[in-house]
Amino acid sequence: MLGLPLAFSSPFVLMALVGLPALWYVLRVTPPRPQNIAFPPLRLILDLRPQDETAARTPWWLLALRLALAAFIIVAMAGPVWNPLPASNAGQGPLLVVMDDGWPSAPTWERRVAAAHERIQSASLAGRVSALVLLSENGREIVASDGARMIERLRALKPVPYVADRAVLLQAIRRYVSANHPSDIVWIADGLEFGATRDFTARNFAQGLADVAATTATKIQVLTLDRTPLAIARADNSSGALDVTLVRADTQGRATGRVRALDLKGQRMAAANFDFGTKLDAHALIDLPLELRNEVARLDIEDEQSAGAVSLLDERWKRRRVGLVSGETTDTAQPLLAASYYLTKALAPFADVREMRPGQTNGQTTPIESVLGDGVSVMVLADVGTVTGVAHDKLAAFVEEGGVLVRFAGGRLAASVDDLVPVRLRRGGRVLGGSLSWESPKQLAPFEKDSPFFGLAVPDEVSVTRQVLAEPDAGLRAKTWATLVDGTPLVTAEQRGKGLVVLVHVTADTTWSNLPLSGLFVDMLRRVVAMSHDPAAIVSDGAMSDTSETPVREGALVPTRTLDGFGALGAPPVTATSIAANFDGPVSADHPPGFYGPADAPKALNTLQPDERLKLMDLKGLSLNVEKMTNAEPKDMRAALISLAVVLMVLDALATLWLSGGLRFKARHMTASLLVFAALGLSVPDCVRAAEAPALNARDLDAVLHTHLAYVMTGDAQVDEASKLGLAALSRAIAARTSLNPGEPNGVDPARDELSFYPIIYWPIVTGRPQPPAQAVTRLSNFMKQGGTVLFDTRDALTAREGSVTPEAQWLRRLLADVDVPELEIVPRDHVVTKTFYLIDTFVGRTTNGQTWIEALPPAPLDAGPRPARAGDSVSPIIITSNDLAAAWAVNRNGAPLYPLSPGGNRQREMALRGGINFVIYTLTGNYKADQVHVRDLLERLAH
Amino acid sequence: MIETQFLAKESVQTGSPHQRRALSHSRNLPQLIVAVQEIATSVMHGVHGRRRAGTGETFWQFRPFVMGEATGAIDWRRSARDDRIYVREREWESAHTVWLWIDRSPSMAYISSLALTSKIDRALVLGLALADLLVRGGERVGLLGLTRPLAARNIVERFGECLMDDEQRRTDAPDELPNVEPLPARAQVVLLGDFLSPAAEVAAKIAHLSSRGARGHVVMIADPVEESFPFEGHAEFYDADGSARFRVGEAASFRDAYVARLAAHRDEIRHACDAHGWSFTIHRTDKPATEALLALRMRFENSDRGGAC
Repeated sequence: MLGLPLAFSSPFVLMALVGLPALWYVLRVTPPRPQNIAFPPLRLILDLRPQDETAARTPWWLLALRLALAAFIIVAMAGPVWNPLPASNAGQGPLLVVMDDGWPSAPTWERRVAAAHERIQSASLAGRVSALVLLSENGREIVASDGARMIERLRALKPVPYVADRAVLLQAIRRYVSANHPSDIVWIADGLEFGATRDFTARNFAQGLADVAATTATKIQVLTLDRTPLAIARADNSSGALDVTLVRADTQGRATGRVRALDLKGQRMAAANFDFGTKLDAHALIDLPLELRNEVARLDIEDEQSAGAVSLLDERWKRRRVGLVSGETTDTAQPLLAASYYLTKALAPFADVREMRPGQTNGQTTPIESVLGDGVSVMVLADVGTVTGVAHDKLAAFVEEGGVLVRFAGGRLAASVDDLVPVRLRRGGRVLGGSLSWESPKQLAPFEKDSPFFGLAVPDEVSVTRQVLAEPDAGLRAKTWATLVDGTPLVTAEQRGKGLVVLVHVTADTTWSNLPLSGLFVDMLRRVVAMSHDPAAIVSDGAMSDTSETPVREGALVPTRTLDGFGALGAPPVTATSIAANFDGPVSADHPPGFYGPADAPKALNTLQPDERLKLMDLKGLSLNVEKMTNAEPKDMRAALISLAVVLMVLDALATLWLSGGLRFKARHMTASLLVFAALGLSVPDCVRAAEAPALNARDLDAVLHTHLAYVMTGDAQVDEASKLGLAALSRAIAARTSLNPGEPNGVDPARDELSFYPIIYWPIVTGRPQPPAQAVTRLSNFMKQGGTVLFDTRDALTAREGSVTPEAQWLRRLLADVDVPELEIVPRDHVVTKTFYLIDTFVGRTTNGQTWIEALPPAPLDAGPRPARAGDSVSPIIITSNDLAAAWAVNRNGAPLYPLSPGGNRQREMALRGGINFVIYTLTGNYKADQVHVRDLLERLAH
Repeated sequence: MIETQFLAKESVQTGSPHQRRALSHSRNLPQLIVAVQEIATSVMHGVHGRRRAGTGETFWQFRPFVMGEATGAIDWRRSARDDRIYVREREWESAHTVWLWIDRSPSMAYISSLALTSKIDRALVLGLALADLLVRGGERVGLLGLTRPLAARNIVERFGECLMDDEQRRTDAPDELPNVEPLPARAQVVLLGDFLSPAAEVAAKIAHLSSRGARGHVVMIADPVEESFPFEGHAEFYDADGSARFRVGEAASFRDAYVARLAAHRDEIRHACDAHGWSFTIHRTDKPATEALLALRMRFENSDRGGAC
């Protein structure tokens, strides 16, 4: 309409717009209420009968407002739709809708169905029958039917996870057209050529349609969408990250997004961004640790729901850890010619190599043991002759449990060998082409069909000059994976338990053959390493398949979970059949993408081939009516117009009120309330702003710069006063007697204040107070974890009785219920805390009978003999006393004690102070004094 | 848009809620009194200094006793100082009596957005300030119909109380024009109001008041809206007592007719004043009160001089 993407569902309502001039006239002569004006000198002009009492006209802007209001309502009633679906041109005969239902259609499936729905509906309104055919229907007979039935069918349709062959469909269309013509055909195309792996491309199909149109009176319309799908072509588990290759068909449209990595259970593990830029392919690197990367079972593109945007990973994508132990000595003269160097280089592209040289272990374990401890799945021994003892047992167990042991021959192995080889070996080996031999160096024979190396090309230049020879036992041939041209085995393997032992009869360096220099060496190692996930399956491929329970043909993998067209994993459809173990696509109705085989080690089949690229359908030069559906969704504008009309109504009411003077004195209030609303609207984002970290106050800064003692403010004024005065007296005593000069004690609230500035916090327990909030307990726990010490004082030594728990102790237990408290013990006589400054026996306060508990020390070593002081590795995070220390320390301004002691005496007060000093010095120096006791011995030793 | 309003009902109508009215007036009065005194002092110092020393409240002079006088007039303390007998003479109390009348009718309680204060506030401020000024100048001032002439220093408070008392006791609307007997010859009267009554009534009232020779000053207080008539558009006007409503289609078309009517009305009143030797002043509430007070003071001095001639 007027060049705008606008259409009306019931355009006849727009006829009402004709009535607007009449409305204009009526509104114009109906002015709003007059303004009321108070006017005292009215009497002067009362007799002036007004010359002009005809009411003033309604102001033009009010008129315009009201007309717009009416127009909006009329237009809204007409049902305007922005970006309507393209209207089908009226045709004749039955309508055939051809839908591409491969995975490229899945992201835009809703719109495709909507377009088809709209075509069929308009055809059915015109009294025409319609038919619907899908690409995946494989040339089923097309039957036209009435629109309602087709729409019902349309609703049930789902895209399929593959792209079916178009040739058979064209046949079916030809048959249909010859039966019904004239007719209309609408092809809702997925826009991809998809001919790279198929003979019959979309262009061939379009050409066929055009031919049909030319020969019969058929009108053909092609509908494409401007959005083409994105897909994941391949994923490589490279050394640093999971490298995902994404492809798209054209440079328009979506270029950026995220690729998600999920594990087998569908848990999201990681995501990575990709950016196509202007290219047709892009890479996303999913950076995860190796262990996690191996767990990734599914990659998909976010917001792209199609089977093509999903890549399933199986064991083949797992990156394995390979242990490498060389029999060579530690000081290799030529490291670049060593076997381990060749192996590391060959293994690095597809596996993580753990190499261990003999000198690198700590002497207690052999290199083999320590490498096995790293959780390798493949163990490579390069010229290791005999493995004995614990290492042998462990290696054997490793193979039994499913590990792969690969051994390379060499001088040591040729000299003596253990039982961890697949075949019996002759002593000495065989030299070819040497000065004493008349045989020339041998080349490799092509791999046989049941060899795991089958399919690898054998280069001519690879030759073997020396090898170890297997005894020609029975079954040697079954164990042989590769031979020389004269039939002597080069690689032999044997299954042991769940694992595999592989022997390469040459060295891993170039002294015996030049195999390590060839690309074949890498490929062979890759195949061997790939077996490590399931060695039994490979070896038993031919021989043991009869034990398989599934009645399928040999080596076949049954589909377990397959993708649907939208890329969701589900039960396989009935049409899905088993695949061979080495089947690699392309996917089809018989083999939809998904997981095949046993649930614990499934094989993944992906929608796209690893090297497949998407190509845009090219219809140039064909006489077809191509129409592009816009990206924009159709949008019903009724709601917007009605809300606009409501806004105009409110404006109109306000304007009327204003014209009649009703708004007069409220204008200021209105402004205020508008401001309030605006402020509310603006302040919403503020609310979600993250809470800022609390700034350090001046006291905290001071506490950082000077050491302060601290006490917890309990809320009980008397106790807090005693704590403050007591710690102040203790601080003065410390300053006077030691080199520490603490500042004034600080009262802290663990719920609010930062505790980490204080080495020791005194916490008197008051039962009447509520428990501190959980936040405070967390802070307290963190404080103790970070090396702080909390000195709890239950102050209940006088009331404590054997076998009963005082209220203070109960309070403390509740407090510490959520704190990680170490094992405690009564301070032993030899604990370092009794010796840090003064040598004291017990810690006394106002009372002397209470016990002091401290973190239990590790038991004294029996052989070390008596030591004067013992200490743990760190300072005890918690000290619990019941002697009411602070009250014993507390003095008033004149230095007179504030609280009476029990039993009393100046000596008890002095001992209390000494205990306090010991606690503080203990928290500051730790186990230093425990080491100090040896000074005399050390000096004596130095003297001699 | 110009906003106009009559003040809240309790300050316009004399009706049942006396109590509230008294309260509202007593709320207003202190502010008014402060304004009054500020204005009065500024005018006093603004024009000229006092040439006469003292106001002679009690003592005027001692003079020799003349036989036949009442002996009670002898000042014995003074007489004891010599042989003569003196009489203490009081100040000759022939000061002017100025009568003040303030229009408190409903139409005075009016304010528009162009004015500084309402007309009634301006009239009260002007009247009380004038009273203060006159009393300091030695005159006696009375509220016409409410008080006798007073020369008290706290004249403003006295008048305020008096007005409040009258407001409380009154049951009908205050008069639009003073309703009293003719004043004596030497008295002066100051009428403050909007004088929107028919001009003939105003002229008759002036003639009545001056029938015994009293002279006077008419101060017509007007809101700026009442002069310029700045209204436009569809409007409905209403009167102070709400009796008359007047709807016009286009208010602007009435402006010329109204301005002509107002000029004629004022001319009639001015003529009536001139005929009896009264002065006539127009004061607008968008001007400061001092301006009107200054003008009034000038007129008083002129009329004093004129009276002396």
